[in-house]
Amino acid sequence: MEEFLEKISEILEVESVNLSDNLEDFDEWDSLTSLSLIAMIDSDYNISVTNDDIREFKTIEDVCNFVKIS
Amino acid sequence: MRLSFKNKKITGVLSVLPENEVHFKDGINEYNFTEKQSLKLAKIMGYGTRRIASESTTVSDLCVHGLEYLFENNYLNKDEIDALILVTQSPDYFLPATSNVISGKLNLKEDLICMDINQGCAGYEVGLMQAYMLLEQPAISKVVLLNADVLSKKVSKRDRNSHPLIGDGATITVVEKSDDDENIELFMKSDGKGSESLKIPAGGFKMPSTPDTAIMNEDVSGNYRSLDNLVMKGDDVFNFVMTRVPEMMNQVYNELSINDDNLDYYLFHQPNKFMLEKLADKLGVDRSKMPNNITEIYGNGSGITVPLNICHNLGSTIKNESYDVCLGGFGVGLTWSLLVCKLGKLDFCEIINYKE
Repeated sequence: MEEFLEKISEILEVESVNLSDNLEDFDEWDSLTSLSLIAMIDSDYNISVTNDDIREFKTIEDVCNFVKIS
Repeated sequence: MRLSFKNKKITGVLSVLPENEVHFKDGINEYNFTEKQSLKLAKIMGYGTRRIASESTTVSDLCVHGLEYLFENNYLNKDEIDALILVTQSPDYFLPATSNVISGKLNLKEDLICMDINQGCAGYEVGLMQAYMLLEQPAISKVVLLNADVLSKKVSKRDRNSHPLIGDGATITVVEKSDDDENIELFMKSDGKGSESLKIPAGGFKMPSTPDTAIMNEDVSGNYRSLDNLVMKGDDVFNFVMTRVPEMMNQVYNELSINDDNLDYYLFHQPNKFMLEKLADKLGVDRSKMPNNITEIYGNGSGITVPLNICHNLGSTIKNESYDVCLGGFGVGLTWSLLVCKLGKLDFCEIINYKE
């Protein structure tokens, strides 16, 4: 879990993230960070994520649930 | 599907690029994003310069220019061409076939097969497949494969998805019968259910272009394009490439009993640098064996990126050396293909400019 949150922090260019944080609240959250997220989840977890999936994500926790990280 | 060939050889590759070069930064104000966002995009995806055809330049112009260059330099004798195959998605006309137009402009002999094929990102492998099949015939000794597109004309300047990567150009590959019996192994698959992933919705017979199809609309990511423009679902394409290409690569390794030690280069289609880096990592292939610099230097010219890759990255050595290579194409259709062969000792391997 911690490792996954670190990777998300890196993509969002922040020190750390919390499960309850809203993705929309991050300055860096845009279509490019979405792609970085798609690429990271594919390479590190071998799971395909689409932009439609990503539009359903409201919080960091939603991303974790999708990747089944707990 | 796997097709096997023998006694055929690529003997030369020429790339013909429009002289006009544009830079990523030139178009940055058109995008509905901050400059910081756009510069970050360029850095991650690997966007730089691109070659763009002028309004009046067409596929036949680029191909005729390149073929005349080959005739003038005695790299190719026009009377020896038995078939002219053109792979393009931006033909001069719906009809006649642009390959016929090219043969007419160059006054080629009548004992000639002309054929246009509608394919994009996997267009080099599809074109080579057709060339190899024709070369099985006793009457055919030399096939000229043309890959050419000027798709930049169909991409919206306000589409940050596709505009920063699109490029134009043509390549000419000469394929001949050969005495060496090295195997050529071609793997190819199609999935028409993914045909919406890369598309120009309007302009064909299903949806003719009208003033309405030219209206620009904003998508959920802030890009503007019309139905006349090319639209690419970047996430779908990314996921498709990252799943289907590794699957096929494993099939190639298994069926041919080889691994990446047996291959000198992976000369793959280059949508952008980012995707090729991720693909190399996923395949466990050293990034240096899978060149990824074509789109940032010339733009992504659809089916021409593989032959342009050969000219740009191997042009200085491939006239004397020979390599075991895996060519790869993946995209529009959806279509994906891998081709394992020996490539080398070419008679010519150059890049020339088309002056407009």
